[in-house]
Amino acid sequence: MASSGHTQRGDGGAKLNILVCVKQILDPDVPARDFRIDPERMEAIRGGASLVPNVFCENALETALQLRDATGGSVTALTFGTEEAEEVLRKALAMTADQAALVVRGDGPAPDALTVARVLAAAARTLGEFDVVMVGRESGDWGIGQTGGLLAEELGLPMVALVDQVTASGPGVSMRRQTDYGSDTVETTGSVLVTITNCEGNVPRIPKTRDVMKSYRKPLTTWQVGELGVDNGDTIAEIVELSIPGKEVACEFVEGDNLDEKVDAFARRIAEVMGAIG
Amino acid sequence: MSNDVVICLSASSGYDRVAQGVAGAGRELADELGGSLCAVIVGAAADETVSGVAAVADAVIVADQPELADYQPESYLAAFEQTCRQLEPAAVLLGNDTVGLELTPRLAARLGGSPMSDGTGLRVVDGAIRVTRSAYGGKAEAVFELKRSPAVVWVRARGFEPAPPTGDGAAVERAALELPVAATRIVERHVEEQEGIPLDDARLVVGGGRGLGGAEPFDDLRSLAAVMKAAVGASRSACDEGWVPPSYQIGQTGKKIAPELYLAVAISGAAQHMLGVSDAKALCAINTDPEAPIFRNCHFGIVEDYRKVVPPLIERLRELKQ
Amino acid sequence: MTPDLATREIGWNISVIWLMYLLLVPTVVVAGYGLWRRIRLWRCGHPVARLDRPAERFGLVLRHALLQMRTARQLYAGGFHLMIFTGFVILAIATTVVMLDFDFHTDIMKGSFYLVFQSLIVDLFGGLVLVGVGLAAVRRWVHRPKQLVYTDQASWLLVLIFAIALTGFLVEGWRIAATRDPWAEWSPIGNLVASVSVPLMSDEALRAAHLTGWWIHLLLVYGFIAWAPWTKLAHVVTAPLAIFAGNLDGYGRDLKPIDFESEAPLGVASLEQFSWKDLLDLDACTECGRCTAVCPANAVGKALSPRDIVLDLRTLMHSKGNELMATPGLDSEEDPRIPVIDGSTAVAPEALFECTTCAACLEACPVYIEQLPKIVDTRRFLVMEEADYPQTMADAITSLEQRGHPFPGAQFSRVDWAEGLGISVLSELDDPSEIDVLLWVGCANALLERNHATVRAVATLLQDAGVSFAILGREERCTGDPARRIGNEFVFEQLATKNIELLQRYGVRGILTCCPHCYHTLANDYPLLGGEFEVEHHVAFLAGLVKEGRLIPSDQDGPSATFHDPCYLGRYNGILEAPRELVRSATGAQPVEMAAHRSAGFCCGGGGGMSFAEEPPEQRVNRERARQALATDAEVVSVACPFCMTMLEDGVGALAGDREVKVKDVAELLRDAVAPIEKD
Repeated sequence: MASSGHTQRGDGGAKLNILVCVKQILDPDVPARDFRIDPERMEAIRGGASLVPNVFCENALETALQLRDATGGSVTALTFGTEEAEEVLRKALAMTADQAALVVRGDGPAPDALTVARVLAAAARTLGEFDVVMVGRESGDWGIGQTGGLLAEELGLPMVALVDQVTASGPGVSMRRQTDYGSDTVETTGSVLVTITNCEGNVPRIPKTRDVMKSYRKPLTTWQVGELGVDNGDTIAEIVELSIPGKEVACEFVEGDNLDEKVDAFARRIAEVMGAIG
Repeated sequence: MSNDVVICLSASSGYDRVAQGVAGAGRELADELGGSLCAVIVGAAADETVSGVAAVADAVIVADQPELADYQPESYLAAFEQTCRQLEPAAVLLGNDTVGLELTPRLAARLGGSPMSDGTGLRVVDGAIRVTRSAYGGKAEAVFELKRSPAVVWVRARGFEPAPPTGDGAAVERAALELPVAATRIVERHVEEQEGIPLDDARLVVGGGRGLGGAEPFDDLRSLAAVMKAAVGASRSACDEGWVPPSYQIGQTGKKIAPELYLAVAISGAAQHMLGVSDAKALCAINTDPEAPIFRNCHFGIVEDYRKVVPPLIERLRELKQ
Repeated sequence: MTPDLATREIGWNISVIWLMYLLLVPTVVVAGYGLWRRIRLWRCGHPVARLDRPAERFGLVLRHALLQMRTARQLYAGGFHLMIFTGFVILAIATTVVMLDFDFHTDIMKGSFYLVFQSLIVDLFGGLVLVGVGLAAVRRWVHRPKQLVYTDQASWLLVLIFAIALTGFLVEGWRIAATRDPWAEWSPIGNLVASVSVPLMSDEALRAAHLTGWWIHLLLVYGFIAWAPWTKLAHVVTAPLAIFAGNLDGYGRDLKPIDFESEAPLGVASLEQFSWKDLLDLDACTECGRCTAVCPANAVGKALSPRDIVLDLRTLMHSKGNELMATPGLDSEEDPRIPVIDGSTAVAPEALFECTTCAACLEACPVYIEQLPKIVDTRRFLVMEEADYPQTMADAITSLEQRGHPFPGAQFSRVDWAEGLGISVLSELDDPSEIDVLLWVGCANALLERNHATVRAVATLLQDAGVSFAILGREERCTGDPARRIGNEFVFEQLATKNIELLQRYGVRGILTCCPHCYHTLANDYPLLGGEFEVEHHVAFLAGLVKEGRLIPSDQDGPSATFHDPCYLGRYNGILEAPRELVRSATGAQPVEMAAHRSAGFCCGGGGGMSFAEEPPEQRVNRERARQALATDAEVVSVACPFCMTMLEDGVGALAGDREVKVKDVAELLRDAVAPIEKD
């Protein structure tokens, strides 16, 4: 994976080849009252809901595209999903990713993070050498957030989590990542995998209509998962229970004949809690 | 393999509420497994950190050689990996901080174990460790049975009671490790000026949302928070707008807080935000829309424009405090 | 002398009259060049079929150019404009009579025709010009309304017209005085000048003054003729042309579909990408400012000003005239040659995305200028080619693409509102063609909780009236209205194509919808893409059921109500009476009208994708409309649109204070008045 063959960009830095792993998920905006569970498959029932790109994957794409636009090089979008996952790659291409690859899986329940990481790693090795691999910090469906780390180990790359900005720096990249106390600047000289989180600077771009139209004419590399020769042996976890938590609480709206009375009632309720905790 | 539980702590944050919660979760799990609780502290640990941990654990390993003085992902990962290999635990627990989020999957991969994130409950069924966590943006709750050993889990630490003292302090052992040359390096740490009370441990929190319409109204929220002795947070959309830095973000992908009371101002209450406040003991809200989803989770609320409510509310709370 | 012989000597006292003919040559050349240059510029625009249906078009010119029906809507300005206009028409006829008599020796200027028309009527209409100019001057220099444009040119034109009329009367008066004209009394104003002049001036002086005055008058008139085509007075010619080429098909039906197969730029970024009618519009503008005066966005202090969009584009067209004519009709994918979108002009991106597409500007324009299509055309470029538009609007469009509705984060499904009503879903029927009508609910009704009551009212009224209907349920998708108005024709077309395919698959003919935006789109936009359906909005449908006696409102008096005309129902589609009939049926009284109502209604602020925009509170159109509604003192503000509902509820909530004012759909009012039928 260590990139040896990259070309020089104008300022002496390297043109960066970036791989972005993206995921299609069940629309997280499905209204709670429409949300149902399939107890056999241990996952949500799709019903009439849409499949959409995971938003952190879009943040990752945006971060990658900005880096590419600044340095040259290329952005490759890769996904592992059902046939329908082609849509997220078309979106990536519409956002001006240079190429896209789809590893098709069957319609069964979603594979676990370790399987996904192994499949992505095999596909990434086949696709070529990458200087930066970007993965969304977690997905809007299960939200487990382990794929990035497992993929880093599969690829033998160092990893930085919760990155929201990547810039070229010498032969490598400089990353800003969010921390509990603010942010870190992290540097690397070789290839690296980062998990991307959102910030105001990486709100996914709106694709231009012309690029949307073009995206449907661009070629797509497609593999059936079997073709990649991944050992689909052990899994890391099995879902043994899946349930919808109990109902909402009843909100008591403060009453009063006018604003002052309502504010007073509201303030008293807050003061009760303040008093209780001293 | 043993029945022991290892908790991985970073020295720089001390024995804080997160570390206490991790230790608490670790102790419960160790009791269930019938093993002991061993703490690994990496970094230049202060004496009170070590003694605090030693008071609740059965064994403490401190890795504080100079290369580990500050957190660096690759070297800390190597340090946790090497100590865990020696201990051969059944489970490794980390906290919901940058270190936990960053290292859990890789540590699990290196130990041949199963990673899991955001655990809110841990139990042992027929010898297997099961982790409870939310799924589908809080719409569902799932229990995962981890198939490989050790289980490597970062937990939502504030949701766990701090570990009880053992009575006799654990022995503290210092580890000498051979560390690889790190391929990445944190070259600068930017500590954000936190005005007022930090969000993570606040017992009262005021959150602002997209409905505020700009950065300035957050000043009003800060005044309100000052009277309440509360911390100020924000919804994801308010952070995305750049009105407040990302460190204010409360939600599925921001901070997960567990205050006594959360006051949501001009926040509609999208599921992703509600996930960050699901551990709050009570919720209340100021919103113009009585149908806003936020009110479905509130104990009490006021349907009004926040601009009309906040200034008199500050006054009123000030009077009530006296 | 007998009146039969009454006439006057043409060219009396004028010696070198050939000079008049000589001077006419440069006058006509300058004037003609002015017009010709404009015409050449318009011809650089894209082709558009605006010369078809000549009979209808001449009718339009008759009503709006000659009879000035729209101009007359503003009493004061329309009044003085009519005075000046008719004055000039009569004076032009009189000049033609002189020419026919003198140059063509027709000998028609005599007898009672001379006395009644050529003397009396011409004199009075000449006086009308003076009065008109006076009133215009009062407006321009005393009233100073905000809508006017205050240019030196406009002032000088007024002075010039005044000088022409005045010198005309002076010359006439001095001729009457000097010739002791026996028919003087037939020219009362000229005679007044004569009777004032006689005691003051000798015959010599009168003749000299007449000669000088005559030449000054002639030079003023020639100057006027030569200059007018270069000024806003070109509208004497351009306005009737613009009216002739006006949109005959109703507002919104003129939005052109886009051929996505071609390489041409999407939308308009460069001047030559407008149609020739769009460019003609720029020259037709009279600077009256009515469009901006009625613009709801402008009224609340936003940057948008349709008048300035037209005027700034006009300035651009004339300053870049040579570039425009250099390679007419050439499109390129490269940077726009003559960029029209410019943050330092009225065609600023920020302003373009403040438009609610309410069409008030179109309705107000006396000369049929189409401001709104220019706004949507430029929006199309920004949205589709540049992807540069407000993020919240983009979020709505992304949601349209992903979920088929524009409300990300909606907490309801499409069928939650229908819970317990036993409404059939089309896909579950054995024979979908059995139903009378498909109830097209609309995203804003299904997904915004407040509007559930509206659709429930409509649905239960239909059930009570025995109408057999069904819904599409989860198969319903947005019609594409927000995408189309925001400027994303691509997403509109995708949605519309899918919907048409679905509706045709079910064999749907009749559609009843509870949303004016769905109504307009289904009824007027879908035919462009091959989807022909019989579409009705619930107000018309329910009014029909009441008329047929299938719904019988109780005769108890209801609350007093005002009615807010949804733009896409009233102005766009002329459905003005049905909702008022319903209010009358439901409350027992006519609605209390707001000042701006029916076709002149004021937008709620929610159209054109503005429901999805972030607005500063002090610049919210809905607050202004709510203020107007509250000023009627009605107990209920009735609406007929789910967007108006949310907009006005928000506005009324913010402004009503202690007053109990409800916002209700007319269907809800009717539901309150019609006793529900108990079901078995």
